Amino acid sequence: MISQARIAAAGLFALMAWQGAAPEAAAQAPTRQPAPPGAQVYFHYPIDGLSVPERFTVRIGLRGMGVAPAGINHARTGHHHLLIDTDPGPPDQPIPSDYNNIHLGNGQTEVVVTLPKGRHTLQLLLGDHMHIPHNPPVMSPKITVNVR
Amino acid sequence: MLRLTQAFLLAVLAVAIPFAEASAQERARQRSPAPATTRLSFVGLADKAQVPAKLTVRFAISGMEVLPAGQAARNAGHHHLLIDTELPPLDQPIPSDFNHIHFGGGQTEAEIALTPGRHTLQLLFADHNHVPHDPPIVSERITVEVPATAAEKPRSAAAPGARVFFIDLQDGATIPSRAKIRFGTEGITVTPAGTTSANGGHHHLLVDTELPALDREIPSDFNHLHFGRGQTEVELSLPPGEHTLQLLLGDHEHVPHDPPVVSPRIRVRVVADGQTAVAASPSPHAHGAGRARTASPNDAAVYFVYPRDGDRIYPTSTIRFGLRNMGVAPAGVAKPNTGHHHLLVDTEPPSFGEPIPADLNHIHLGGGQTEYKLTLPNGRHTLQLLLADENHVPHDPPVISERITVIVAPGGPHARRRR
Repeated sequence: MISQARIAAAGLFALMAWQGAAPEAAAQAPTRQPAPPGAQVYFHYPIDGLSVPERFTVRIGLRGMGVAPAGINHARTGHHHLLIDTDPGPPDQPIPSDYNNIHLGNGQTEVVVTLPKGRHTLQLLLGDHMHIPHNPPVMSPKITVNVR
Repeated sequence: MLRLTQAFLLAVLAVAIPFAEASAQERARQRSPAPATTRLSFVGLADKAQVPAKLTVRFAISGMEVLPAGQAARNAGHHHLLIDTELPPLDQPIPSDFNHIHFGGGQTEAEIALTPGRHTLQLLFADHNHVPHDPPIVSERITVEVPATAAEKPRSAAAPGARVFFIDLQDGATIPSRAKIRFGTEGITVTPAGTTSANGGHHHLLVDTELPALDREIPSDFNHLHFGRGQTEVELSLPPGEHTLQLLLGDHEHVPHDPPVVSPRIRVRVVADGQTAVAASPSPHAHGAGRARTASPNDAAVYFVYPRDGDRIYPTSTIRFGLRNMGVAPAGVAKPNTGHHHLLVDTEPPSFGEPIPADLNHIHLGGGQTEYKLTLPNGRHTLQLLLADENHVPHDPPVISERITVIVAPGGPHARRRR
């Protein structure tokens, strides 16, 4: 719990820092990859409201786009990020890499996660070769799972 | 040095002579006493029972203790199973051979394999030196029968022209002690063990051994190497000298086909290192020849998220793919442990040594897609997933899913089952 609070606090600082530096960041932000219309990322497993064991496999579906490892600049592709107990950051910045933002940079379409008992939120966000979300972001709804 | 050994031997003899004299008088080993009330029997195995060819035999002893061989103790010993043989001399150690099976680890059960027909089984207890007790602790001698039909398994059929062969390796070739042996097939497809398919099987490499029985599972040991994941090559380490190699295809249950798909038995000479002249001329039409295949991790697997085997689906359905322990990369991207999906519709898996063909039956998902909207006519169809590398060549071992059957109906999963 403490580490979560700490991470949340860190996230808050980062957010504040970003808001402070917003005009510069916007100016420096690299051009974002366009997302094809209709592109959608979603959970095969788990689904919203599901009770899951502490260790489970998150399976990821992607509609209208392809998967490519990080660093591979191909149109209409990206790689998955699993956001755990966190909100997505600013869409024109690279997705951070920490315990709450799991990068699937080798093009994985599933990942085994271990979470402490209790309620957790999961969200999927596609990033391009530079880990930057597409325009508009290809993002799943945030779901809640109950780890028992 | 030599003198020292002689002196030592003499000393040993001097010590040993009194014992030798003592035992020579009897010409028999000292037998351990046993209580008269001890009973030894089989558990759950009656005389004249019908048994399968492979069975587990359990032993029960009352009044004595089971100890591993070598541990001397009063009223203790270990089991011996006598198959198709009379009692051995009771004042000698029990022989150790196929008819006299020792359980020197203190085991109280064993899995044995019997050929079809009648067999006799008998238990004989013996002390730490494998010598039966006095009086001998012996079970009733029972007769069991293995029915001839029990061993007969329906063997998978193979196409008449199917054959299996070594690639770039001829009879009499000289190979290094660590050599890559490659297998080719023609007229039959390579499918992993456990996957049932018409006219498909997986390789077995027989090293320095005769053909095994063709009506049952190919044994799995150092002489019978299984390639159950559909591998088509192996890095083989052999000691220098003459060896024989032979390929034998087995079906999903490791049973050879009918007729068996077997290569000629070739003789190779293994040399320690250096000069190896692989008598080779690459055969251009051989499956699996030529192209280097990308390695895949051992635990990689591709599977259908939707649909599942036997599902009824709509004519236009989104087929969803899952991939374990590997990543997806678009075609043309060379990155270890990645590949892109191919959806095989109503077709056998293609040759793994060549790029997957691109046609209506082999759908390439070269953009890194992990699902595909497929439209199919009504009726039964088969679907299978096959991952391939940046050049569309399947990995080694191939990452291939089970071949599933779906029923396409206008109402999809809600369609009425026709009576």
